[in-house]
Amino acid sequence: MAAAGVAAGLGSGDFSDLREIKKQLLSVAERSRERGLQHSGKWASELAFALDPLPLSELPPPPALTEEDARDLDAYTLAKSYFDLKEYDRAAYFLRGCKSQKKEKLHFRPLEKGQVKNEALRELRVELSKKHKARELDGFGLYLYGVVLRKLDLVKEAIDVFVEAAHVLPLHWGAWLELCNLITDKEMLKFLSLPDTWMKEFFLAHIYTELQLIEEALQKYQSLIDAGFSKSTYIISQIAVAYHNIRDIDKALSIFNELRKQDPYRIENMDTFSNLLYVRSMKPELSYLAHNLCEIDKYRVETCCVIGNYYSLRSQHEKAALYFQRALKLNPRYLGAWTLMGHEYMEMKNTSAAIQAYRHAIEVNKRDYRAWYGLGQTYEILKMPFYCLYYYRRAHQLRPNDSRMLVALGECYEKLNQLVEAKKCYWRAYAVGDVEKMALVKLAKLHEQLNESEQAAQCYIKYIQDIYSCGEIVEHLEVSTAFRYLAQYYFKCKLWDEASACAQKCCAFNDTREEGKALLRQILQLRNQGETSSTDIAAPFFLPASLSANNTPTRRVSPLNLSSVTP
Amino acid sequence: MASVHESLYFNPMMTNGVVHANVFGIKDWVTPYKMALLVLLSELGRAGAQLGLLERRRLNRLLLPLLQGPDMPLSRLLKAIEESCSHLASSVHIRLKLMAEGELKDMEQFFDDLSDSFTGTEPEVHKTSVVGLFLRHMILAYNKLSFSQVYKLYTALQQYFQNDEKKNGIDESDMELTNTEELEGKMEKEELDVPLREEEISCSGPLSQKQAEYFLSQQASLLKNDETKALTPASLQKELNNLLKFNPDFAEAHYLSYLNSLRVQDVFSSTHSLLHYFDRLILTGAESKSNGDEGYGRSLRYAALNLAALHCRFGHYQQAELALQEAIRIAQESNDHVCLQHCLSWLYILEQKIFDSCVLLEHSVNKSLHFGLPYLASLGIQSLVQQRAFAGKAANKLMDALKDSDLLHWKHSLSELIDISIAQKTAIWRLYGRSTMALQQAQTLLSMNSLEAVNVGVQQNNTESFAVVLCHLAELHAEQGYFAAASEILKHLKERFPPNSQHAQLWMLFDQKIQFERAMNDGRYHIADSLVAGITALNSIEGVYRKAIVLKAQNQMSEAHKLLQKLLIHCQKIKNTEMVISVLLSIAELYWRSSCHTIALPVLLQALALSREYSLQYLASETVLNLAFSQLILGIPEQALNILHTAIEPVLAHGAVLDKGCAMFLVAKCQVASAASYTPQKKIEALESAILNLNEAKTYFAKVDSKEQLRDVLYFQARLFHALGKTHERNKCAMLFRQLHQELPAHGVPLINAFK
Repeated sequence: MAAAGVAAGLGSGDFSDLREIKKQLLSVAERSRERGLQHSGKWASELAFALDPLPLSELPPPPALTEEDARDLDAYTLAKSYFDLKEYDRAAYFLRGCKSQKKEKLHFRPLEKGQVKNEALRELRVELSKKHKARELDGFGLYLYGVVLRKLDLVKEAIDVFVEAAHVLPLHWGAWLELCNLITDKEMLKFLSLPDTWMKEFFLAHIYTELQLIEEALQKYQSLIDAGFSKSTYIISQIAVAYHNIRDIDKALSIFNELRKQDPYRIENMDTFSNLLYVRSMKPELSYLAHNLCEIDKYRVETCCVIGNYYSLRSQHEKAALYFQRALKLNPRYLGAWTLMGHEYMEMKNTSAAIQAYRHAIEVNKRDYRAWYGLGQTYEILKMPFYCLYYYRRAHQLRPNDSRMLVALGECYEKLNQLVEAKKCYWRAYAVGDVEKMALVKLAKLHEQLNESEQAAQCYIKYIQDIYSCGEIVEHLEVSTAFRYLAQYYFKCKLWDEASACAQKCCAFNDTREEGKALLRQILQLRNQGETSSTDIAAPFFLPASLSANNTPTRRVSPLNLSSVTP
Repeated sequence: MASVHESLYFNPMMTNGVVHANVFGIKDWVTPYKMALLVLLSELGRAGAQLGLLERRRLNRLLLPLLQGPDMPLSRLLKAIEESCSHLASSVHIRLKLMAEGELKDMEQFFDDLSDSFTGTEPEVHKTSVVGLFLRHMILAYNKLSFSQVYKLYTALQQYFQNDEKKNGIDESDMELTNTEELEGKMEKEELDVPLREEEISCSGPLSQKQAEYFLSQQASLLKNDETKALTPASLQKELNNLLKFNPDFAEAHYLSYLNSLRVQDVFSSTHSLLHYFDRLILTGAESKSNGDEGYGRSLRYAALNLAALHCRFGHYQQAELALQEAIRIAQESNDHVCLQHCLSWLYILEQKIFDSCVLLEHSVNKSLHFGLPYLASLGIQSLVQQRAFAGKAANKLMDALKDSDLLHWKHSLSELIDISIAQKTAIWRLYGRSTMALQQAQTLLSMNSLEAVNVGVQQNNTESFAVVLCHLAELHAEQGYFAAASEILKHLKERFPPNSQHAQLWMLFDQKIQFERAMNDGRYHIADSLVAGITALNSIEGVYRKAIVLKAQNQMSEAHKLLQKLLIHCQKIKNTEMVISVLLSIAELYWRSSCHTIALPVLLQALALSREYSLQYLASETVLNLAFSQLILGIPEQALNILHTAIEPVLAHGAVLDKGCAMFLVAKCQVASAASYTPQKKIEALESAILNLNEAKTYFAKVDSKEQLRDVLYFQARLFHALGKTHERNKCAMLFRQLHQELPAHGVPLINAFK
């Protein structure tokens, strides 16, 4: 417990003494490994690797053996070797008489594999709770107790115990990670009293990523990098995931590429990477990744997922579904595969199977917005716009600032002829930063339908500004519509200059060329007639000239107050 | 003991604590409890001849719930058997003991022997009987098990048996209290088990598909018919969650959870469960190939329809309409007329909230008959009748229609609809002011036996119709002054429909109304005023009306008038004729209280015309009474007496006691007033008959304990006796009057000048 004591000395966000941190990390990695907690050990060593090596003199000494430990050493060593060879029952048998605290750790591994029956679980709980009351448990013991409680679905108690574990032994990443899985929202996070150490920063960053609070997460990670963890692959991968979550694809891709350079045989997080490649339709890269991962280890969930994505990109949806199924067989609680499988079934037009897959995904994790969104899409395809509202709303609740859900919601409302709600959704979608740039056009069309020409024109103007400011020369389908409407709008307002400018723009597009020309002629005619009356009206703004580089509006977003009940 | 159930954790779909999807469609599996049942069955077969007839019958009756019910610990099972036949219980115990303490091969041998009962020229068990099916299911399930599963089953059996033994052991050591240390350890363990045990109320561990189905259908029917007998919402939800944990594919559980959330008015979780149910149903619909695509589309339609129903229940009419439109569209696209009919009925219900639409309903009835949906058709007829009754259509036609739909019900034995129909008749008779007819209908329903095969033993269900009828019954009794009986009925209602159940609002309203009436009669206006808030919460129109009455009684005329005018406009708008007439009457009363009888007359005539038009007889006669009173004050008592003769009969036949008293009192007053012009001889006769009428009025008022009126009557009677020169009687009345007068506060309104 010496290391724990030292760790408490370094306050939150205090990264001044990296050497000390490294020492702590090394010792905790050693201790985790000793107790069979491979993942925590791995995490700690990875992080330690990112820091500068220590001179020999400063390496932490091996933990001192107590009298008790010495007595049990033989049995322990034997059991540990059995344990490492996955002969758990045998290991447990030889540990019967041991009183050492380490022994409990060895119970843990089979537990994680779900091989301990419920009965044994309850016995373990009784035993642990006795020790807990007597305050005999150290950090690892508390962690074990927490895991047992979680397995028994006693979430509240489990959270308390994990928090306690984090207090006693803040260096143990496993406890933090478990805590992460149990916390469902920001409010809960606020009410936890967490130990004030540098580990807390890692935890907060991780949980912010989980809870989709990407901005905060990125900030935390950046400050961690600044503090000296720039070489840590863990942090790099987390940043990439965070960028993936906010759909900043380019940045995420470049970071993943960087990560693969540093750690070419890494399999973790590669499924996220493949998702990105899929979104960008980068076939060769995806294929390379798939081959590469397949060579490293083909019996990994992530590998199966990457291969599934690869097939999906090649439009071989049956095979893709097969690989996702394989991933699920390897780990039935692997959430992403369910959702992806749902997408595949959608592609195959097998709506019922898709619904099944999405539902499974939701059962595994209620916070999976993609599954909710997918369910909504499925019902939309089945032409049930009212029905799918519920699902889109759920998705929107989970990702309040994602424009795709909002646009989908808006479309549904439009189909239900609830134009007021639809307008709210589209405006909100634009306000939170529209990814597909379609919200404004849809909003404009709605205004057009409602004969609110002023607002419609405003929307089209904003739309055109948006398109041009992005610098995309790609032919955007709706640009011509926008110009045509604007030309007619200005024409009606008798603003000849603007009208003719827009009409000229119209001529640049195939579908509106004739209309543009006709309008130009009319303008010319009318201008000649009423030269004096109309020219003095000053143009308040003109479109592409007044471009702003910033495509997200500064206007404050009002709360989305949909009149309908949102269950 | 919580750990007893551990041994039941035998579920082939669960490995390593993870429940897998039920890919094989396994519906049933062998558990130790089921093995105990098998042992029981085989013992039954073996001992068949020696059992007495009575024992046999008892055992046979026991078997069905045992086969269908959830798994239970061995001790409970043995106890149940013991109650029917003790020596069979011991032989079952012995055989189980032999099997559990023996070897694996004993169990295998047992299963091998089981199938023998089917063979032979005269088999003990028929293959298709309930028991036969159970046996075959079990044998099949057993044969499917792999070796490791068989072994698991065997250890589970051993544990099942040992736990039972252990329990007995604990009981003994409890008695002895020798080994305190060990006991302490056990206590501690049990303490820890407490929070876990709460989850296991009636059934525990995983249920097989059959058991789960039974559990669900039982709870659902209880929810529908008799909510109080079902599990409480919280515990039912726990059960369902437990069920879903082990059988995640069991869609029906989601539906029950939807119903359960409806009970507690939880929009969020009920929507969630409903949608989840249909998501799951779509799956099963797609998987079953017999239905093919049709079954899948069907569930979609009904999903939308159910969503509409849900929103309607929670009063989100706009949302409901959208969902309904969707359902109609999908149903139309796939030409599903049956679904369309359901949609049409719902459309009517929705439209009804906005405006009256008989057309829709008539369509619905016609079409439903055409497509052979008797349930929908008669529901439609019933709503139609209800609407027409409010709209003042001829009573004979309505009764005819109800009779026709009754024919339909009896033909298809739709017991639920029969109940509703009778309840409706009660309500309609009440509306028309025929209390005796209403009473008769109410009694009919209450003394009828349920038709449903499920509840043969049970006489009645706890459905809405029963609540309605009982409420009416309570009010009828209260009207006749039988307050004790009324409160008895209300107490019964409270028991049958506890405050948090669906139909509790009904009796709450009636309870408060009755209390209000009583408080008004006794002149305790502050109490009546305090009841107004409660009534308003349950029924706003009624509440406003009552508030006005209280104000009127407290002589706050202008406030009362303002309130009544507002109410009148509102009621005319929503076409609540009954209330309109009541309000008109109250307004007229306000007028004559302020001595503006001439203004009151047209109001009363309007009320009379309305009540005649809608054939609301009771209100009509009350209007006539008011009219007569006005005429009396205006100085035409002969005329008043004339019209009173037309009204007095229905009042005496169907009226409330208080109204009867008022009517008699009024008659006496009119008699006295008109006697003024008579010859002395005739005058004495008239006055004497007036005294008789007053006596009658007095008895009526005494019944409802209405002291104020009693005082007035006594005063009047004393004056009459005085006029007739009967001093002795006069003094008696005067004394009684004095007693009452001292009790009651002096009243602003002149005695003669009030009729109510």
